[in-house]
Amino acid sequence: MSDYAPVNLSAPDQIEFELNRRRLAAPAGTMLVDAAYAHGVEVPVFCYEPRLGGPIGACRMCLVHVEGMRGLQTACSTQVQPDMVVRSDTDEVRDAHDGVLELLLANHPLDCPVCDKGGECPLQDRTFKFGPGKTQFVEHKRHFPKPLDLSSLIALDRERCITCFRCVRFSQEVAEDGHLIMRERGGDSEIATFTGDHYTGRFTGNVIDLCPVGALTSVPYRFVARPWDIKNTPSVCGHCPVGCNLELTEHEGHVARVTGRPNPNYSVEEGWLCDKARFAYPEDRAPDRVRQPLIRDAAATREVAIEEAVEAAALLLGRDGPHAFLLGPGATVEEGFLAQELASGPCRGALVAQLGLGDAPALAGLRAAPAAQLDDIDRADLVVLVGGDPANQQPVVELRIRKAVRGGGRLVSAGPRRHPLSGLGPSYITPPGRLLDGVRAAGPAFRAARRPLVLWDEADLAHEPAAAAELAGLLGATRGARQLELGADVNGAGLSALGIPGAADLVAALEQGTITTLLTIHAQPAESAGAARWAEALGRVGAVVALASHGGGIADSAAVVLPAATHREQEGVYVSMAKRAQRLRPGAAPPGGAAPGWELLIALAHRLGAAPAYRSPAATFAAAAAARPALAGLSYDVIGELGALLHAAPPATTNGAVGGGGADGTGLPLVTTLRIFGDAAAHRSDALSGVRQGAEVVLGAGEAERRGLAGAAQVRLQSPHGACTLPLRVDPRCPDGAVHATLGVPGAGVERLLAVDRSPVRVEVTAA
Amino acid sequence: MPQRHIVYLHREHPGDMAQLPEYVKAGGYNGLMKALADMEPDDVLYQLHRSGVRGRGGAGFPMGRKASFLPKDSPRPAYVVCNADESEPGTFKDREIMEFNPFQLLEGIVLAGYAIGSNHGYIYIRGEYEHQARVLDRAIAQAYEGGYLGSGLLRSRFDFDITLYRGAGAYICGEETGLLDSLEGKRGQPRLKPPFPAVAGLYASPTLINNVETLTTVPVIVAKGADWYATLGTEKSTGTKVFSVSGHVMKPGNYEIVMGDTSLRELLYDICGGFRPGHDFKACWIGGSSVPVLTAEHVDTRLDYESCETAGTYLGSAGCIVMDDSGCIVRSSLRLAHFYRHESCGKCTPCREGTMWMEKVLQRIVDGEGRMEDLELLESIMGRISGRVLCALADGAVAPIESALRLFRDDFVHAVEHGSPAREPMAPMGA
Ligand SMILES: Cc1cc2nc3c(=O)[nH]c(=O)nc-3n(C[C@H](O)[C@H](O)[C@H](O)COP(=O)(O)O)c2cc1C
Ligand code: SF4
Ligand code: SF4
Ligand code: SF4
Ligand code: FES
Repeated sequence: MSDYAPVNLSAPDQIEFELNRRRLAAPAGTMLVDAAYAHGVEVPVFCYEPRLGGPIGACRMCLVHVEGMRGLQTACSTQVQPDMVVRSDTDEVRDAHDGVLELLLANHPLDCPVCDKGGECPLQDRTFKFGPGKTQFVEHKRHFPKPLDLSSLIALDRERCITCFRCVRFSQEVAEDGHLIMRERGGDSEIATFTGDHYTGRFTGNVIDLCPVGALTSVPYRFVARPWDIKNTPSVCGHCPVGCNLELTEHEGHVARVTGRPNPNYSVEEGWLCDKARFAYPEDRAPDRVRQPLIRDAAATREVAIEEAVEAAALLLGRDGPHAFLLGPGATVEEGFLAQELASGPCRGALVAQLGLGDAPALAGLRAAPAAQLDDIDRADLVVLVGGDPANQQPVVELRIRKAVRGGGRLVSAGPRRHPLSGLGPSYITPPGRLLDGVRAAGPAFRAARRPLVLWDEADLAHEPAAAAELAGLLGATRGARQLELGADVNGAGLSALGIPGAADLVAALEQGTITTLLTIHAQPAESAGAARWAEALGRVGAVVALASHGGGIADSAAVVLPAATHREQEGVYVSMAKRAQRLRPGAAPPGGAAPGWELLIALAHRLGAAPAYRSPAATFAAAAAARPALAGLSYDVIGELGALLHAAPPATTNGAVGGGGADGTGLPLVTTLRIFGDAAAHRSDALSGVRQGAEVVLGAGEAERRGLAGAAQVRLQSPHGACTLPLRVDPRCPDGAVHATLGVPGAGVERLLAVDRSPVRVEVTAA
Repeated sequence: MPQRHIVYLHREHPGDMAQLPEYVKAGGYNGLMKALADMEPDDVLYQLHRSGVRGRGGAGFPMGRKASFLPKDSPRPAYVVCNADESEPGTFKDREIMEFNPFQLLEGIVLAGYAIGSNHGYIYIRGEYEHQARVLDRAIAQAYEGGYLGSGLLRSRFDFDITLYRGAGAYICGEETGLLDSLEGKRGQPRLKPPFPAVAGLYASPTLINNVETLTTVPVIVAKGADWYATLGTEKSTGTKVFSVSGHVMKPGNYEIVMGDTSLRELLYDICGGFRPGHDFKACWIGGSSVPVLTAEHVDTRLDYESCETAGTYLGSAGCIVMDDSGCIVRSSLRLAHFYRHESCGKCTPCREGTMWMEKVLQRIVDGEGRMEDLELLESIMGRISGRVLCALADGAVAPIESALRLFRDDFVHAVEHGSPAREPMAPMGA
């Protein structure tokens, strides 16, 4: 992992010092280890990890000689001082490095040949570089039964642990879950959980990246590959709009592991990942993966060659229109742009829409306020969280908020649901439609703040225009205030930048029976908001062509299925909720006959006689950037390793349906919630089977009592749009005046209760 | 050789000094009354400075200087922490203070608090001192009742509270920053310094942390004046010091003597009654176990900080462990290695792994399975520990064993060749 903090060598106020007889400079406050590393000198470390807080000086690996100071100093905890004279290459320092390594290895099992870390192990590497060629240790080593399941995702080999405390500090001081502890003391110290139960949480897998030895390893990756049999590719996450930078490990043709980036993107994820992103990759090889092109008619479903499937799709799209193209939230900018190009060329007049929220007029004012990046959260003295549940929906944001609060910042939250961060500061729970009250309650906090930052939830505020306007007003009236959108859809911002609206018009057109062929691109309308209406509308379309990576839903009924690569298997651009364009790079090729969506769409254009001038994703993106002002100035080169910000606002669309208005229906207002391990990806990945979450209905104790549901195991929810039946949980801490239900769980059907534009609804709750 | 009782006032007084009225009758709380009536906090601080009193917990750092390191302008509250963890092998002097003269300690803590502008003191007492904790508990309750603790104590405008906190039996929780982490409810492990406790101690607030004996000296210094106090002892070692003498002497126990007045020989032969017939001095760890061992060559060393250093050791906590010629230095070294291995907190590599390794090698030698190169190996391991660790525990583990290996080399060579089998346990000694 990162190990050393980034150092800005061109910042003002550089301090001059001497290292190994070289005159060097670094900014004031820089730790010696970091300053040395920035100048190409590696002072070895194990416990030092600047992302975990201040140095703890435990491993003693980083000892150096500092002129004028008695004994050797830990370079991880010594800041550069003007004219400091430092040596990391004297005999005494070499003996110290050698000595600490010899001591670390005394009890280390040295079972490298059967250790997953072998080949990419800091302990191995540093021993090779700084360590003893030979040990004087002839005693019996410490033994533990091995390995233990620290959880269903992480294996713990206590013999290999070098007691660097990184994992414990992550748990205690970054995730703040308090689970991991060091038990016993001295040479008997061992990693354990406080309760003795599994280490569970939203971010546990980060300790695998942090561990400098093979003590904490990934269960799903266990014994899968050796480092010389893999290829690592930097990419970005496709599971939520935070857009965490990560690395994909390819082995035997598929993605076999996901890790944090060795060089974190400090403006985005800082090297952390949530467990969903880290362990969802087995979904690429799930049983329902679409591996071959399919053609379906009344008689049968046939696997065909890709040429034949594209031909068949072209035939359907070559008929008289109008056609319609529907993009899922995970479609790339390139896929969106190619769909638009089809609609302006061979399929002229086709409707192009996205399943995401698209452009909501109520949010225009908020989006126009000065925007922040994720690292600005660290520096805010006040974080106002309006709506949402970042811990479950944009998980890594949780770590930033915790960091801000640890650093002395205040958190005030307002919204319709209680969530894991509610306890970090004052929290106002408001019934749906009344978010304005919450915003007003949070208002006074602004006056005292100097660097307030508003995190607002796109989905919750899209239908609360009064709250959005109030918040925009507060932002405008407070100097130094900034805002960051908690987006609802993975690449919603990218598709909106192309000008692709929400799907209100498209579904209406389908219902009127006027659409000849519907092409879906990574879209599952019947599992999205308004599922009931979508199902009905889909029955009226002439034919469906589905570009999809997984079966189920539309892929099971489409006339033509084009097997598509997942976000881990294709090239493309996603725009994060902070409006940062970042590049997906394929970690592996898609399986079987599957192909990247951009390639399939270009092939389709060819077949339709409108071959575009470009044949690569880079060229496709370049064409999009030239044609769409919101993407102006961007290219793959400009985006590079760390991404680039969009500067222009996305065009306004005719997406007028999203807006205010009271809730439809009778009964209790519905509050939808999402659970981090409750979505389709988490349910498909066998790695996550131990932590995966289902759907439930939650009622406050008073509400359940009043409705005579206190004893009910299952309840039926009925809205004007549809109905579903789910298990009921009565939670005394859940506020009355609303019913809460989990969205996004495959097969649970809460989407049926909603309108296509996700506008507020009321539901009748009855025992089932 | 006269003993002089300043912190062991109870030995001078017939009554039960663990009862408030008796303590007051003996002149107790005169110092506090004087301070509250006539002295500014800075005056008290100055007296501490001027008295030259050095910390009695082991490191011997001048108390007044340490107290003056506390920032005066901190927005956070300041704390006094009394280190009553007393876990250094051979050291049992604080125990007697707490059991028989608890009010003088409480008075000292309040005075220290007054000097540094603190309103809250903590006593961190080692878990095994159950009885002493009960005595202190009762004394604290009596002090509150009598108006010697609490708000507006002794009708002044000064408030002071004392909280007693019991440790759970870890040597490392006597190390001041390990103690603070433990007191905060965390795993007791030393912190990286700086920041020092004076700047960021308990709850990251300015904290004065002192040993029981040090704090118990304070009321005397304030009542009788620093100049009087400094007439006792030598220039660099003022006042009295309690020596806890244990081991092969006829009369082990706590002895409070004026520093520099007495030699080790006088302490052992005159005060402690010498050795059993037929036996004589072999070795002594004068400052607890964490110091280099002394041989017969140094038996005339005077008992003060500077003379001990000249002799190649440290006065430390003055837990003086004595061994006569019936003892085996190799087995003692193994026992010490075992102690430090067992008590190492495990935070830093050289101590955690090194003490374990030292014990294993010594065990082999004692068991008769040693190799001659093991003596160099021991030196190599110790060389890779000392000066490279986070706290003084590991240096304390190296000091007695490194010196034993140097000063009693023949004994080690003999043990490598023949082992050092266990002997019959000895009958209890002493008067
Ligand atoms: C391993 C270790 C154990 C210690 N144990 C004690 C102890 O039990 N009591 C004590 O007063 N000081 C102990 N100390 C010393 C303290 O760290 C600290 O120096 C002392 O409490 C300061 O008080 P003083 O200045 O009054 O001596 C220990 C130090 C170390 C390194
Ligand atoms: S398990 Fe790994 S990260 Fe945790 S303390 Fe041990 S070596 Fe360090
Ligand atoms: S927070 Fe979002 S982008 Fe980051 S790793 Fe998790 S799912 Fe992926
Ligand atoms: S020297 Fe020993 S006791 Fe002190 S911090 Fe290191 S491991 Fe812990
Ligand atoms: S890296 Fe400096 S002590 Fe561990």
